[in-house]
Amino acid sequence: MENSIGRGGIEENILAILDASETKETRDANDDRIAFLEAVRAASIVPESGIPPTNKMCAAVFRILRVGKSLELIMPSFQLLNELDKRYPRLYLSSSDRSKSSSSAPLELVLVKEAWLPFVADLGTSSSEKEVADKNLGGPFDSSGFHLLIQDLAKVARDANFKTLDTKSLGSMLVFQYLLNVLEGDMLPRKSGETMNWTLLRESLLNMVLISLQGSRKLNYKVLVRDCLTVMCGLYQIQSTFSNDPTYLETSVVKPSDNCDPAVAVALPEIGNNTCIAMQKLLTLIMELDMSKKEADMQGYTTRADGVRTPLIELILDELTYNDEILCPFLQVFNDPKWKLEIILQYIWKYTSKPPVRTRRSNGSTDDATLSGALKCFSSTTSTKSIIKKIGIEVIQLLLAHAFKAHLFLSSGKCPALGDPDSKEDVRDNPLVEICENMISAFNSLRRVDENMEVLSFGKEALFTAATILSTMS
Amino acid sequence: MDGSLDFEFEDPLLSSPVVTKKRKKVIGLDDLLSDYYKEKSKLVERESIQEKAKKAYNSDDDVNTKEASLSEVIDQCQNQMKEISGEEDMSMWGMRVFGNQKVPPPLAFPGLGSCALLQFFMKNELNSLFELDSDKGDLFLEGLLANGWLSKLAFICGHVEKSMAVWTFNLMLYSSKEELRTSACDFWCAILSSKDEPVLIDWLPSYLELKGALEIYGFEYKFSFNRDSLPAGSNCGGPPQNIRSWVRFVAACSHVRNKLSILSTSEAEELVEVIIFLFLDHQLHGLAVLLYECMQSLISYFTEKEWKNSCNKIAKSLACRVPRDLNCLRAVECISGYDTCSKQLRSSVAYQILLVCFDNKATDEEEIMRLLIAINVKEKGCDLFKMYIYLVLAENWLLVNQMLEHKPVINEMWGLYLRNCSCQISSTDLRSFASKVRNKASYLLQGTVTK
Repeated sequence: MENSIGRGGIEENILAILDASETKETRDANDDRIAFLEAVRAASIVPESGIPPTNKMCAAVFRILRVGKSLELIMPSFQLLNELDKRYPRLYLSSSDRSKSSSSAPLELVLVKEAWLPFVADLGTSSSEKEVADKNLGGPFDSSGFHLLIQDLAKVARDANFKTLDTKSLGSMLVFQYLLNVLEGDMLPRKSGETMNWTLLRESLLNMVLISLQGSRKLNYKVLVRDCLTVMCGLYQIQSTFSNDPTYLETSVVKPSDNCDPAVAVALPEIGNNTCIAMQKLLTLIMELDMSKKEADMQGYTTRADGVRTPLIELILDELTYNDEILCPFLQVFNDPKWKLEIILQYIWKYTSKPPVRTRRSNGSTDDATLSGALKCFSSTTSTKSIIKKIGIEVIQLLLAHAFKAHLFLSSGKCPALGDPDSKEDVRDNPLVEICENMISAFNSLRRVDENMEVLSFGKEALFTAATILSTMS
Repeated sequence: MDGSLDFEFEDPLLSSPVVTKKRKKVIGLDDLLSDYYKEKSKLVERESIQEKAKKAYNSDDDVNTKEASLSEVIDQCQNQMKEISGEEDMSMWGMRVFGNQKVPPPLAFPGLGSCALLQFFMKNELNSLFELDSDKGDLFLEGLLANGWLSKLAFICGHVEKSMAVWTFNLMLYSSKEELRTSACDFWCAILSSKDEPVLIDWLPSYLELKGALEIYGFEYKFSFNRDSLPAGSNCGGPPQNIRSWVRFVAACSHVRNKLSILSTSEAEELVEVIIFLFLDHQLHGLAVLLYECMQSLISYFTEKEWKNSCNKIAKSLACRVPRDLNCLRAVECISGYDTCSKQLRSSVAYQILLVCFDNKATDEEEIMRLLIAINVKEKGCDLFKMYIYLVLAENWLLVNQMLEHKPVINEMWGLYLRNCSCQISSTDLRSFASKVRNKASYLLQGTVTK
């Protein structure tokens, strides 16, 4: 009781700091906003027994992140929101103290229903299409607002170079990163149980967003996926060329620059890179959700209300197949090894006449089997020829090399060091050795079929690595 | 700044709108302006009626005069506002931490092509495909690095040669290519923090290399408070992009203390100070999260035993170097971790700066409180800007660390000080920073009551 009274009083005091500055853009108003953020920190984060922020306080911090005009405001509000979520999670696991069962009882999922969210409360009810986005500037997101945000980012990634990038686009990137943190924070505890529980996953925020997107007549899931890929690949490309642009080099030495704010220039690689990571997180979360849904489907746990959704991986494969330009950057930037390998293998299977029989097992060992399965497609000249005809020799090289790299990152087991005599006997059994050998022979067979083949530098690097691994282990 | 904002003897009509710009909470600027215009237009109306009586035929001219006089007044107001805000530069924090950059060392590494990793491969039959030789080796290695193969190779071999280590380290700190500096930094972070795959690294950088890099970036150990640097698009100097990798590397180094000793405690202390100074540069706002993480891992570098002493040393050294304006508040507030050590640091930094503010006249906590209480805020010459700084410093010193719970005397003095600031400054006080001090103090006072 005492706590709640204190909380109300503190809310009033803290919000009073913002009173006069709601809409103004003066130095004073900014000072007030910073003082407000500091006050929330001091009340909720700093003390060991801090007071959870009220919904109004959270909403005000979020507003500052969304409408803030300077990095000085955007960065601390972004940080504070993440800290608040970490400290006062909306969904968490706790050992159920009320239950009478033994101490080995499973953890219980606790949902703080009244906790604030950056998403609107009625996400799941897709039927009501509201034009919230414009009316409610700085407020919580609904699914169409989320779509719009990604569209904005895609626009930035599509035609931006760092001259046109401004604080506003950095702000959108941070909003997106925060939303992803929320979606992930909501998803992870639901997945922590030993067995997959579709009823829990069905209620996850991400699933609600997706259902709402599906149900909407205006929004197109396919377009959204395309935008997601554009954001991820586009931002990556902006950054990798970032420093090499001569105009920037000049500004960094002496030249005054009119169009490049140094603070934005310093921030971009950091914030852009984290946005790429967040986008990758979104894609993997959806793919994992798709997988769980499929599993639940097979076990008969889904209902009609769950709807039908094209699995994301199929949409990604379509995009990669029909849009050559993004294949290479996608493979470069997307570095979740498990899903990357999965995507590449499915890509290859689309074109091989007889897809290898896969035994579905949930542990990682199937991945080994499948990569070597894919590599075996290149063991005979005829099959290699037909694949080259369908996919193109450069794309094949890229796919194989990236698949090999993903495989390396998945096989975490330490390889025996050079000259370690004890381990020599096991070499033949090591699946990695087999993969490396097959990798090299696949490239050799490509060259046998196409004598003029130019080995791409990425392919060379893969071969170099494979050869080094072999010589290290033999 | 004493007296510079004292408009008592000036024309109240002209000066008051300007002054209230900062005190909008007391009387809105709009209110005053509209009052003023009402008066003015009444006057103009009266005149125009008189004039109309004289020459009723020329009403167009009339409107023009009205407009002209109005716009004149607006111009005057705006000019005065500009003047005032110019004087108010001190209400911004911000330092130019980076001056002119120096020439970085050459990145080419002569012996790189003959490193064992490449030599080993050149004997391989596959090399017919590559036609790799020692000359082209550099370029090939860059590819291996940029595409993330190199760290995997390091784990597989369990070994990083000296030439490779030096080469990647220099790329990380000095390459102008984002791709290379980032992947070189990834490489180092990976090999330093590898858990289950121990990697033998033949060469480790020392603090001197890190410090040298800062000097090449133009980092100034003697700081200059530079107001000109505040507007966007300022030229000359500024941090190079490599500072990002530098910060990440420092964080990684301090994480692995139990495995590799790269930093000594006194070096880690210096680095904490450097990170705090990086927080003072507006150009580095975008790296706030990175800087925060780096500070956290630096602080966690110290053992509990070391920290007591190190925390004090850092605080004392910072207190002497930070300018005693809003920058010192920023320096305190950027220490934003909420673990015990961070809170200790924040509190001691605030305390030490407070001591320096009073020229070390006070030697203990009670004395400094006594000095604070003795300040008479009603006095016209009282510098309320300084008062504001003292207030925020004291808040951080006393509240962040929950120190008051164990010290009832200080607690009482703190309450008295807050009452001084909040009750003795009237809400109509027009001095600069009067409302800021007053609002802050009453906010804090309410906090002590609700507790």
